[in-house]
Amino acid sequence: MSIPDYIANAAKDECNNLLSEQNGILAVVIASIDGFDVASSVSKMLDPSRIAAMASSIAAIGSVVTQEVSLGSSKSVTVNTEDGFVYITYLELAGVNYVLNVVADKTAILAQVIYRCGEIGKRLKNN
Amino acid sequence: MREYKLVFTGTTGAGKTTAIAAISEAAPIRTDVANTDTTIDKASTTVGLDFGQISLANGDRLRLFGTPGQVRFDFMWKILVRDAFGIIILIDNSRPDPLADLNLYINGFEQELLTTPCVIGVGRTEAHSHPSLDDFSIALEKQNLILPIIPVDVRNADDVNMLIGILMAQTEAEMI
Repeated sequence: MSIPDYIANAAKDECNNLLSEQNGILAVVIASIDGFDVASSVSKMLDPSRIAAMASSIAAIGSVVTQEVSLGSSKSVTVNTEDGFVYITYLELAGVNYVLNVVADKTAILAQVIYRCGEIGKRLKNN
Repeated sequence: MREYKLVFTGTTGAGKTTAIAAISEAAPIRTDVANTDTTIDKASTTVGLDFGQISLANGDRLRLFGTPGQVRFDFMWKILVRDAFGIIILIDNSRPDPLADLNLYINGFEQELLTTPCVIGVGRTEAHSHPSLDDFSIALEKQNLILPIIPVDVRNADDVNMLIGILMAQTEAEMI
């Protein structure tokens, strides 16, 4: 499934901006729900394609858990670690759901990342 | 009551989700999403895991886990195969190179196959007779493996139960 170039470029810009503007962000990856990266910005030696596949698995498992316990649609999954966190949420590109995945070290602030991801989702949906 | 963990893995489209659904006593848990990979002729694909359960006549229970098929999800293979008592590898014989597909999973589960019983189920053999089951045996022998290779239609619960029965028999044989 392809998305228009201008939307893919806007998604790439959003990934770059979040990585460069927010402290502690190691990777920002937008992936199709079946695990292909469509836009990304990473620091260090992180592989966006691996992150994309893992994000789609985690998002899908999160969804099936919330369905099982009748808590409605999953909106996000956060994995907190000793040295940081991974935040996974959904966004829409050209009317199709994608997964937005942020990997951050402990200098990043989760609440700020959640807020920024929400803003990115709004902007890309209206693109 | 004892509980056993069994893992279905293999080619995308070979029927891992279908096999678990065919025999699970309760509605299986699925993590299927829309497939965007145009090289695979499927509307949806598993990206996390499948899960189902069945009870055996002696009261023991089998917990059935299905892996995603694509290599990009190989991290899930490693997670799901932990503590499994057996592995069922499903191959779709209608694909361009089923022997290469088999090698992919033999290599992906190389460490586990040293200690864990395994059965190979080959689907769509009636319409696609090549490679033959002998060809699969020869391919396994080259990897120093001797494993049961069974033609199956995983939509049929009897066929899936047969795979599990062979796996259980293998386990019992190794315990003797």
